[in-house]
This record gives sequence, C-alpha cells and structure tokens, in this order.
Amino acid sequence: MFGRYRGTFRRECGDILVEAESVEGLLTYRRRCEGKTFERILVSDTGEVIINPVEPVNLPEEVTNYLQIEFSPMMIEPGASRTVYLKFPVEIGVLVESAKDIKVLDVFALGTQKYTLYGSPTTGVIARWYQSEVYPEIPQVEPFREGVMEFSIHNASHEWAEVSTAVFKGVDMKIYYDEFVAASAMMKILGQGLAETDFIDAPLRPGMAKSIELYTARKIPVIGRGCLMECGF
Amino acid sequence: MAFNVAEVLEIPIGVGDITLERVLYFAVILMVGVIIAKIVSTNVRRALGERLPVNERELLTKLVYYIIIIWAFVVALPQLNFDLSGLLVAGGIAGLVIGFASQSVVSNLISGLFLMFEHPIRIGDNINVANVTGSVEDVRVLSTVIKTYDGIYIRIPNEKVFTSNITNYVHNPARRFSYEIRIRYQDDADKAIRIAKEVIATHPFALKSPAPSVFVDTLGENGVILTAYIWAPARNWWGVRTDLLWKIKQALEENGIAIPFPQRTVWFPDGLEVKGGSGEETG
Repeated sequence: MFGRYRGTFRRECGDILVEAESVEGLLTYRRRCEGKTFERILVSDTGEVIINPVEPVNLPEEVTNYLQIEFSPMMIEPGASRTVYLKFPVEIGVLVESAKDIKVLDVFALGTQKYTLYGSPTTGVIARWYQSEVYPEIPQVEPFREGVMEFSIHNASHEWAEVSTAVFKGVDMKIYYDEFVAASAMMKILGQGLAETDFIDAPLRPGMAKSIELYTARKIPVIGRGCLMECGF
Repeated sequence: MAFNVAEVLEIPIGVGDITLERVLYFAVILMVGVIIAKIVSTNVRRALGERLPVNERELLTKLVYYIIIIWAFVVALPQLNFDLSGLLVAGGIAGLVIGFASQSVVSNLISGLFLMFEHPIRIGDNINVANVTGSVEDVRVLSTVIKTYDGIYIRIPNEKVFTSNITNYVHNPARRFSYEIRIRYQDDADKAIRIAKEVIATHPFALKSPAPSVFVDTLGENGVILTAYIWAPARNWWGVRTDLLWKIKQALEENGIAIPFPQRTVWFPDGLEVKGGSGEETG
C-alpha cells in the first residue's frame, strides 16, 4: 500500500481501501478504513499521491506532539546499555505532492487511540499513549497497525534506574518502512527521574524507504531536538 | 479666473508657515506607512502560517505593524516643521500634560503590553474575566476582545482585564470533570462502576493518567449516587463530557442497570384496605 501513485489507483489491504478513481471526469480520492470513509476531489495534472506511515499523534484529532510508550519495567544498572525492541502505533498519512508544494490529504489508522498526561496537570504534557511488551528481537507485527521501534537505552547516571515509560517528541520521529514500519530511538538516563530521548535517523534494516513525516509536509521548522523527560520514567 | 493647483498648495493653513502642500505630504506619508504596514504584517502572518502558535504569530504581526506605523510617523513629522529634538526638551512638560489627559489610555496601553508579554491569556483560550466567559478573539494594545459562547462580541479595556481575576480554563494541559450517575438500590453498584470504567476507557481523550475514578458517593433518597471523575485534555474536555455521559447510560441499561425514578414508601398504620379493586365484587 505504501508508495507513490499518479492518476487512478486502487489498494486494498484487509479493512483498508485507498483509491483514486475518475468519477464523471473528476479524479476522486477515496479512503475506507474500519467503516469510516473520507473523500476528496483532486484537481491536479502532475501531482502524485504519497501513502506512507506518519507520526502517530494525529488521531482522532491533533492535540499533542508527544508519544508515550509504556512497557514492562526494566532495572538498569549504572553505566549499562542495551538495545531492545518495542511496538508503536502506526498512523497512515496520505500526502499530495506537486513540483512546488506538498500537502497532507488524509490521515487514518486501524484501531483506537488513547491519550494520557505525562507529568502534573499544571506543568505536564498530553501524550499519545501506547503499551508495548519489551522484545529482545524484532517482533512480529500487524504491518498497518503497529510498527517496530529499536530502542537503545543507556543509564548514564550513578544509580540503578527502573524504567517503564519513554516519552518522545513526534516532530523528531524518523519513520522507515518496507514490509513493516520501523523507527529507531534512544533514551539516556541522566539521573533521578530525568532522562532524554530522541529518534535516530537510520533504517532498522538496509533498503527500507524513508517516510515523509507530517511536520515536513506542513513545513513546520523543528527548533529543538529530543525530549527531556523531567517527570520520571 | 484660472484655477492654479500650485498656488492652492502654497496656501498657509495658519499654523506657523505650514502650507497645505506640507499637510498633504504628511498625510500621504502616513497613508503610505499604513499601507506598507498592512502589506508587511499580512505577509508576516502568511509566512509564519502554522509555524508559530496563533498567539505568538499575532503578537509578532502587531509588533511589525506598529513599528512601521511609528517609522512612518517619524518620517512624516518634519513636514509639519516638527523638530523631534524639541521633544526631548518639551518631553517632560508634554509628558505630564499628555499623561494626565490620557491617563486611562496609557493605563490600558501598559496593561495591554503586560498582557502580551506575561501571557495569562492567549488567543483562543477559554476564559472568564470581569464576569465575561468566552474565548479570547484578540489581545489588542488597548483592549481584549472576547467572543462569548453565544457568539457575542465583547471588548474589555486591558486595564480591567489586567486588574481582574482571570480564570483561564485551558491554561493547564488537562482538567477534570465529573458526573453524578444514579442507580437503583437493587442494582449491583460494583457492576455499575465496572461498566462505567469500561466505557470511559474506550474514549481516546479520557486520559489514561490521571486515571478516571468511579465510586459510590452518596446513598440518596431515591437511589445510589455514583460519582465519576474523569481527566481530559483541557481543550477537548467538553467534547469528552458530552460524548461519554450518554454512552455510560446506554451501557448501564444494556446490562440491566436503570436510572431510579423518585419514589416514596407510604406506611398505613391500620393497613391498606383496597375496595372496588379488580376481582372484588361490590354492591
């Protein structure tokens, strides 16, 4: 399903149907996903439709830019590093691109979303919440529902740390895909309840294609990089 | 008699040696300044687009607009033979006079600047200030514009905004709301609590943490009163509130738990004798 399309096309995968067809001479984009439909008339001579995974912080409506993944607690000794694999939710973005501009046409996903508050009600942030197991190897995933995150964790503090959650900034997310969706991220524990996280701009395995993320399509400049977790992990 | 434009423009207006031509120049420079300010600020707003939050974008746009207006005014003043260096000498006295004459204007202006930089309210926030509740449409230099939930435009002077208690409903990222859910005494309260929690958990914006809380709050006259506390993103709480209540009611009813009607148990000391009821022969 992921890829670039010009003119009419039709892709159907399980509960998802994405197509662009000519209706009475008008090119019409249509999407159906778990009973919900979306339709737009496309007026374009040279434009392309791009379908790829995007940052999972847009549905059911955009309220935050943060993604929080909760996982089985890990006790990490001072100075230790380890790479594990987590699952993260997938949202599928449909973009329209021409020589001069790129625009978000549609975002959809399988399943439901859940949000949470990371930190206190006064100083915290709303975050998209997702629960994952911790996997030592790349786990099997439902390709359009969940992705694989290679998660490198390093305890740079002088104390043992118990970690069961990681918060990321969606704008930092670098997403790659082939048969499944993937991202690579790191977490550095700095001290008691303090850690920094960031995404790594590298494919999980060679040959994966890079997604065009929504912040790129929306031309939002990214000033800061990484996320400082100040309210515990 | 021929009409000579040059002669008309040379006519003094009666203030010093200022001519009509100079007044026109002054007006034209100001007008050009306003036009440039409008064009530049519109382009700044358009260029920033989605890149900045609406509040910061509007603040920057206004700053650019007023800087250009002030620049045009300074450029235009010499046309009226107004020596700006004289302002330094006369500034003290003029300042006092202007200060007294425009005390409320200056007060509103200063309050407006404080509001812009302190950010107790931002464009789009839902607030209550000076007994007015609504969303902030604009924070201007002299006044703040509120649109009430009925769609009414209300302009409040900035001084009043600044000196009033401001309740900003969306300043914090999340807020809590509550429901009272009444069930009958014969219904299983634990089951009702479990069902309500399950329904709440399905809503994307009923926050996972802080976790929702549902408990038996009161043993009321007509039924058991459950209270549900739910946290939601501050900007979405109303949608969550309106979504969930009916879903909880439907889920409870599907599981045989009903909302109690008001009821009274009446005791008759001598018992209740029914006459003329069905099955009893009379006469």
